[in-house]
Amino acid sequence: MWTWPHWLPAIVAAPIVGGVLVPALAMRGRRWAPGWSLLVLSFTLLGALALTLQVARGGPVSYDMGGWARPYGIELRFDEVSAFALAIALVGWLAVLFSFRYAPRAIPWERLPYYYTLLLLNLGGMIGFVVTGDLFNLFVFLEVLSLSAYALVAVSRGKVAGLASMKYLLMGAVSSVVVLLCVGILYSLTGSLNMADVALRLAETSSPLPLALALGGFTAAFMVKAALFPLHTWLPDAHAAAPSPVSAILSGLVVKMGIIGLIRVLQIFHTSGGLDLGYLHLALMWLGAASLIMGAVFAIVQEDLKQMLAYSTVSNVGYIVLGLGLASSTAVSGALVHVLNHAVIKSCLFLAAGALILGTGQRTLTGLQGVGRTMPVTCVALSIGILAIIGVPPTGGFPGKWTMAVGAVEAGRPGFAVVLVLGALLLVIYYARIVNAFYFRPPAHPEVEGARDGVPSILVPVLTLAALSLLAGILGRVPLEFVEPAAMRLVGP
Amino acid sequence: MDVLPMAPVEASSLLPLVAILLPLLGVGLLVPLGRSSRAVRTGVLALLCSLTAGISLALIPGALDGQVPSVHLLELLPGLFLHLRVDPMGALFGATVSSLWLLALIYSHGYLGESPRQGRYHAFFLLCLGFTLGVAYSGDLLTFLVFYELFSILTYPLVVHDETPEAMAAGRSYLAYIFLGGGLVTLGVVFTYVHSLTGLGFGQGPLLTGQTGSATLSLILAFFLLGFGVKAALFPLHGWVPQAHPTAPAPFSAILSGVMVAAGAFGIIRVLLEVFGPALLAGMGAMAWLLGAASFTVIFAGILAVREDHLKRRLAYSTVSQMAYVVLAASLLGAGATAGALVHMTHHAFMKGALFFCAGLLATGVGIRQVSQMGGAARKMPWTMAAFSVAALGLMGVPPLSGFVSKWIMGVGMVEAGEPFYLAVLLGGALLAALYLLPILYTAYVEADSTTQSERSATVRGSMLDPTAAVPSLRNVRSEAPATMLIPTMVAAGLTVLLGLGAFISGFPHDLARLAAEVVLGGGG
Repeated sequence: MWTWPHWLPAIVAAPIVGGVLVPALAMRGRRWAPGWSLLVLSFTLLGALALTLQVARGGPVSYDMGGWARPYGIELRFDEVSAFALAIALVGWLAVLFSFRYAPRAIPWERLPYYYTLLLLNLGGMIGFVVTGDLFNLFVFLEVLSLSAYALVAVSRGKVAGLASMKYLLMGAVSSVVVLLCVGILYSLTGSLNMADVALRLAETSSPLPLALALGGFTAAFMVKAALFPLHTWLPDAHAAAPSPVSAILSGLVVKMGIIGLIRVLQIFHTSGGLDLGYLHLALMWLGAASLIMGAVFAIVQEDLKQMLAYSTVSNVGYIVLGLGLASSTAVSGALVHVLNHAVIKSCLFLAAGALILGTGQRTLTGLQGVGRTMPVTCVALSIGILAIIGVPPTGGFPGKWTMAVGAVEAGRPGFAVVLVLGALLLVIYYARIVNAFYFRPPAHPEVEGARDGVPSILVPVLTLAALSLLAGILGRVPLEFVEPAAMRLVGP
Repeated sequence: MDVLPMAPVEASSLLPLVAILLPLLGVGLLVPLGRSSRAVRTGVLALLCSLTAGISLALIPGALDGQVPSVHLLELLPGLFLHLRVDPMGALFGATVSSLWLLALIYSHGYLGESPRQGRYHAFFLLCLGFTLGVAYSGDLLTFLVFYELFSILTYPLVVHDETPEAMAAGRSYLAYIFLGGGLVTLGVVFTYVHSLTGLGFGQGPLLTGQTGSATLSLILAFFLLGFGVKAALFPLHGWVPQAHPTAPAPFSAILSGVMVAAGAFGIIRVLLEVFGPALLAGMGAMAWLLGAASFTVIFAGILAVREDHLKRRLAYSTVSQMAYVVLAASLLGAGATAGALVHMTHHAFMKGALFFCAGLLATGVGIRQVSQMGGAARKMPWTMAAFSVAALGLMGVPPLSGFVSKWIMGVGMVEAGEPFYLAVLLGGALLAALYLLPILYTAYVEADSTTQSERSATVRGSMLDPTAAVPSLRNVRSEAPATMLIPTMVAAGLTVLLGLGAFISGFPHDLARLAAEVVLGGGG
């Protein structure tokens, strides 16, 4: 079963086809929708796991769609970076389980089937995005995941949600068009769309200007998708207004698509060797550093729990981009690992926040005062997530941040190691506010006093992610060694 | 890297791991114990802590024989293990930690009474014990960092235990200082890792060599000294100590002063000896700064203590002053002085533990929180004041108590190291100790109770004494503390005497400290 050759197309097709079928199934009864989604995602999870194991054993796996040989046919390619599909499937699975109880409270009844459709389309689009080896497909899957994400932000109704979705849509649509334009430039220069092939052919072109334009365009567009400061403005409202399971997916997974897009482009240009990437790396370093500091500073002044977590995503994306910009194999390994670990930790935090909001009806820090006593299990999970996102050893945030800091010193840029630690210290300020409010202040609202920890379908996803946040640090060596070949391809000789 | 002649052999042993896991097991047991009576809970937890203390004492002979118990746990990062290793220095600190913790746990039973939030208190109390032992038994710098950060952060709920506005303010200041320090230490470890040729393991000679540029070396040293300096409360990084001590529960204040602040000094000693080594440090200008800062802290904190009327805050300033002794002696880099520093860490832990236990008894028993309220205290709580007196005299350096012995060893070490000037600092600090402790004893034994009853009953802690049932006059009324609190206090005071009288017996602190210092610094006579 683990070596079934068609897993690669199957994990892309399953969520998309399964998602489209949800409204039809829901005609027989609304209860079918969540169960069916969970089933589809279980299959996807299994496939992603099988493929990750194959990569761990024998390196990247390629698949030619319909048997058409690349570079003429469409190639799917599962490498170490694509293994993020495992996180997508896992977080998606847990978010759907969480939605069993959460979605009926947050989303209008008649929209429920479409909610699951959008969720599955979004997850399928992301998996397609990370496994495709073809530039045009990259754009197509980017649109699938972006469009479904805009809709998911607005799914819960309400003024804020609509406006946030609109803001997201405007910035997202522009960036998608820029991606398409840049794909066009590369196609006109090389006559190919297969990434590996494009990289080979680019080496022969001698027109640096369009190349630089394409590189700059890709970078700017993916920066929007990744919500890097100062192009982050769409993120806080969108992530805070969305229903919590969606926030977990948006913050943990969708913004990472910008990062992975950037990684794919960097790899093409690094392999082709046609351009000196030094200036780009320098820019990424400074942008990343600015993002990690500014995201944390914005987060400090928030009062709404989910807004706070959303700004923390801006900060963490800054970490990852800084790591990529440092361009030493150590720092890039750290960045790649942090892509994965942050996905787990941030979805833990958002789901825990969702459980608290569901339990108490409150979403501000003042409103949630004293909730640590009435919802202890949820709050312990949230606290573990907090320790992990600060990067306290030996939790999940530590391996990535440690490795990036080591990489910064190795790369002869010790100042950025200081910035990395400074960012973690800023995180402490706002997470200390959360802990203080939850544990060390008396309840301010009667809803908080009457609140209780949720049902298993709420607690299981939260606790699983909390446990994984911890394990990601204790077993931090495993992913670090796993991504090393990918880091070498990205910056190695 | 030349191997040192006395380099000890590592003997595989799971005991250090068991010592760390037992308190963590206790945290797990708190859930089923939640429904049982307080006495049962304290009994079970005390049993676990006794086992931990027993193991940490049992590890001493191995460390002394040069058969260093050691265990590699798991590979945390590629090539970097969680590695426990009980060398003489760690064995001494570990035994101190677990013994003082056991006393504080028993004391907590009476101190907390029926007050709320005991589950949380016990959980974090035990977690901190486990992780502080981890600091003592760390076999490399990364393991040290992991445990150091964990215990520093998990201390926070104990600092803010009372949840009063003052406690919350103290907690904020604690978090700010400790995370800043923790961040700096992390940077130090990162830089060391990049520049070290031999990994991060302890006990294999200095990790850094002169091949690293002197500017980088100074930067790394600055990261470590500033980072650990926060925890060790070196001026001007001492701000959290006088804030956190008065608001924390008394048993935890004892821990905070006795071993938490000492953990910072322990970190500094580890870094000086294991990361840089005396040869490298001799050529660096930074040591003069460290010596200057430590000397200034000894005197300055002593003066602040003299001026302070709040009893626990005065004791906290005293801790700042006493820990600066340790740093001062260690930074002279002589074998004798370093051994004295390590011995003083242990001796100070029990003296200051006893003093804070007494301060807690005075506050809960008869409502005394200020030095100026101490009048007549000796008549009301004779046993408490007896313990207080022994510990206070020890801290002043009255022979043959333990404080005298450690200061004597440090003083001799200073002369050996050719720095007799610092004897003046040592004596100045001792003089100041007399100035801030003797008036307390004088007031308690000689002066009469000066406060009125209404003032008194307003300050009496509700959990200990029902204010509505106040006796007609508290003047000259015996109100000695309950046995569960008095016994740990007496034991800590007794240890002050015992460690002083038996200071040079084999297996006592000096033996271990001497060995720890000589492995790195050579014989030194």
